Amino acid sequence: MSASEFEGHEEIVAALTAGKLDAPEHLRRRVLAAGPGAKGARVPMSPRRRFLLVLPVAATLAVGAAVVHGAFFAGSSATNGADARLLPLHIGNRPGGSVTGPKGPTGAAGATGANGATGHIGATGHNGATASGTPAYPLPNAAGSALTSKTAHRSAAFEEYQASGAPVSPQKSLSSLNTIAIPKGRLVHATAYLSVGVANTNALTQATNNATQIVTSLGGFTQSSQIDSSHFGSGTAFLDLRVPLAHTETAIERLGRLGHILSQSVSTKDLEQQAQKETSQIGQLQRTIVIYKQALATGTLSPTQRIDIQIKLSNAEHQIAGTRKQHSKTVKAGTTAEIKMSLSTTHHGGAAGHHKTGKLGQMLHNIGTFLGIEGLVVLYALVIVLPIALVAALIWWLTRGRRQRDERRLLAAETA
Amino acid sequence: MPAALAISRPGRAQPFADVVAENLDAVYRYLVYITGDRVASEDLAAETFEKAYRGWRKFDPHRGAPRTWLCRIAHSVAVDWFRAEARRQRREDNYMRDAQMLEESVFADGLSPELDHALHRLTPAEREVVALRVLLELDGPSAARVLGISQTACSTRLSRALKRLEEEVGDVRV
Repeated sequence: MSASEFEGHEEIVAALTAGKLDAPEHLRRRVLAAGPGAKGARVPMSPRRRFLLVLPVAATLAVGAAVVHGAFFAGSSATNGADARLLPLHIGNRPGGSVTGPKGPTGAAGATGANGATGHIGATGHNGATASGTPAYPLPNAAGSALTSKTAHRSAAFEEYQASGAPVSPQKSLSSLNTIAIPKGRLVHATAYLSVGVANTNALTQATNNATQIVTSLGGFTQSSQIDSSHFGSGTAFLDLRVPLAHTETAIERLGRLGHILSQSVSTKDLEQQAQKETSQIGQLQRTIVIYKQALATGTLSPTQRIDIQIKLSNAEHQIAGTRKQHSKTVKAGTTAEIKMSLSTTHHGGAAGHHKTGKLGQMLHNIGTFLGIEGLVVLYALVIVLPIALVAALIWWLTRGRRQRDERRLLAAETA
Repeated sequence: MPAALAISRPGRAQPFADVVAENLDAVYRYLVYITGDRVASEDLAAETFEKAYRGWRKFDPHRGAPRTWLCRIAHSVAVDWFRAEARRQRREDNYMRDAQMLEESVFADGLSPELDHALHRLTPAEREVVALRVLLELDGPSAARVLGISQTACSTRLSRALKRLEEEVGDVRV
C-alpha cells in the first residue's frame, strides 16, 4: 500500500480495515465441493519459451519433409527424364490409310481414318522440368516391345548418360529416329514437332542458324523463326521449317543433332486418296465442260437452253479452277513436310547442372526447391493471414474498448 | 494475509484447494463491496472459483499472484451480474433489499452504521477500488490490472472514493 495514496485518509482506512467479513462456512464447503482437487496446476509455458520450442520443431519438420521429398523426387525425376527419351517413336503408315501406334505419355497415339490416314506419335517428358536435359536414346523398332522393354533401356541409357555427364552422342539420338518411316512414293503430309535443348544462348543462336542451313541444304526453307533470349542466360527459339517430304527423316535427324532432344513428335496424314479424288473430279469437270461447249456449238438450242448451259459451263469452269488449285495445294502438302522446332536453354541449363553433380546434387537441388516452395507457402499464408489477423485485432480492440466503457458506465451508475 | 502467494514448487503452482483457503474470504469480501449484496456475493464467489478451477491449468504464476487473477475473474463475474441485474430491471428489488440491509451491516461485521451507510452511497466502481486497495491490500499495478485501467486512473479513483467516503460519513454524522 502506498502511503501517499492514503495520506489524509488514515482514519477512514482504519475504520474500513476494522470491519471483519469472512466467507460463510457453507460457501467454503460449496466452493471446495465444486471440484478443486489437491493437484497442483502445471505452470504454463511462457509464450517466448513456447515459440523457442516450436520454432526448431517446425523447422525440423520442414527440412525433414524437404529431405524426404528430395530423396524421393530425385529418384522419380531421373525416371521421368529417362522415360522421356525412351518413348517409342515409331510410325507405321499403311497404304490405304491407317496408322497405328502405342499410346505414349503425351496421349497421342495412332488413329485410323477412312479417307486419309493420320498418325501421330510423340515423345515428351511428363513435364518440361523433368524432361529437360534428356537426350534421345535408341528407341525400339516395335512400338509394343518398346513399352514392355522400357525399363531396361532406360536404366542402361541413364547410367551411360550419368557416367558420361554429357548429352548422348548424336548417333544415339539419330538412331532413335531411324524408326520413322514416312512412306515413299505417296502423297503424305508430315508434321514434326521437335524440342531441342542447347547449352546456352550462344549455342542457341548457332543452332538456329544451323537449322536454317540444314533445311536449305535439303531443298527446304524456313517459313518463320523467332528467337528470344534473356539476360539470365536463358533463351528460346521457334522455327517453322519446310522440307521436301523425301528429306524429312534426314532433316529431323540432322536437326536433332543440334542439341539434345527434349521432346519430339511426328504426325502424318496420307493425302493420296484426297489427291486421287481431286484428280477424278477434275477429269469429270473437264468432260462436262467439253459437252457443254459442244452443245453450245451445235446451234440447235433455244435461247433459254443456251443461257442455262452457259451458266452451267461457267460454274463448271469456276469449279474446275478451284479444284485444280486445291489439287496443287494437296500435291504441295503431300510433298512437303512441316517441322516445327523449338530450341531452349533454360531447362537444359538447370538439368545439365544436376547431372553434373549426380544424384546427390539433384537431390540437394530438389530439397532446395521444396524448401523454397515451403517458404513461398509460408509467405503466401502470411500475406493472406496477416490482413485478416490485423482486422481481427482491430475488431477485438474496438470490442474490448466498448466493453470496458460499458463496464465503467455500469459500475459508476449503479449506486446502491 | 499475504498479497502474493509463493509458488510451492518450481514449475508447479500450489494446489487449488490451498488457493481457495487463502483467497476465498478476500474474494468474497471484494464481491460484497462491489455488489453490496452478501447473498449475491456468495453465488458470485462460487461462480468465480468455479471459473478459476476450470482455468487453473492455464493460470500463469509468472504473470501475477493468484489473488490478482481471482479478483479479475470476480470482477468479470460481478460485471456480468450487474448486466443481468440491469436487464432484469430489478432496481426496485435491489432498493428494497438495500433498505432492509441498512438495518444490519452489509460490507463487514463491526463497521459503524455511518460507514456502512456511506459505503452504500458510493458507486460499485468506487467500492471496488477501496476493496482492492484497502481491504485486499493489492498494490497499485495489480489493482489497476484487475480494474482494467491505468495505475494513475486507479490512484485517482481510490483518492476520490476515500474522499467521498469521508464526506458521506461526515454527512451522516451531521
